[in-house]
Amino acid sequence: MPKKVLLVDDSTTTLMMEEMILKQRTNYECVTAKDGLDAISRAVVETPDLILMDIVMPRMNGFEACKRMRQQASLRETPIILVTTCGEEEYVEAGFQSGCSDYITKPIDGFELVTLLQNYLGE
Amino acid sequence: MLLARMSDNSNSPTELEGKVSVQQAGDQAKVFAARMRLQNALDQADALDAIREIAVNLIGTEEVAVFKIDKKRSELWLYWSFGADPNKHSVLEVCREPRLPEVLSGKPVFRSRFSAENLLSTDDPVSALVPILVDGSPAAVIVLFRLFPHKMGIEPVDKEICEVLSNCAGRAIEPYHSR
Repeated sequence: MPKKVLLVDDSTTTLMMEEMILKQRTNYECVTAKDGLDAISRAVVETPDLILMDIVMPRMNGFEACKRMRQQASLRETPIILVTTCGEEEYVEAGFQSGCSDYITKPIDGFELVTLLQNYLGE
Repeated sequence: MLLARMSDNSNSPTELEGKVSVQQAGDQAKVFAARMRLQNALDQADALDAIREIAVNLIGTEEVAVFKIDKKRSELWLYWSFGADPNKHSVLEVCREPRLPEVLSGKPVFRSRFSAENLLSTDDPVSALVPILVDGSPAAVIVLFRLFPHKMGIEPVDKEICEVLSNCAGRAIEPYHSR
């Protein structure tokens, strides 16, 4: 059974790019959500093996969504990777405070994305 | 934490080949996503939003502006901006900007990674000047300002994305321009 990845971003461009890379280079199944609130409900229903989530989104940002996901028993151990425009220490620290497992910076590099996900999910 | 950070020890030919292959797939996905987003823009506002999305998510800058070219082709007027100070960049005079004639001939201009030269006479670093072509002629110019701090410079895939912007972003300035 393929591993399932929940991609969360309000940008259709980013979702399209991420989904295309993962479909071409991995056998993961992708599901998507458009903001933090949508992501929480999708994550509860889909129980993904990994969540790749943007930070700046309407309705609920990635930090808050990450915190709330960690309060759900079914998502407590799910790897959550935040996608940030800023690799600075304070910003990264805020991500880890919210409960994320790792982070990746924009613009996403295809090789870095695939390698990062494979390290959590295997090939 | 950070247990999955990639290492740079993948130096065997097979590993390098694999890396290049994944990298190429990633680059193709970026170019494809940029083209699809622009071609499927619902209206002018959505096309401008597509330019913002592409600049932020695919190229790596949160400072972007679109300047329309006046009929005499002597000045460029600020038409739309995101993250860039509109008061600092309202008009660009072609006679004062040595790189603009090249852009007005239809070619994008990029700042070299190690060059100290700025592409416009402004304090803000300009990373790229991209003409928006309408019916084959430049009708506006997209200015990409400062890149994200962790981004070293414009890369080959960014130039391909800028080609897409140049050829597919006409709707952003011409509301009724056919796709």
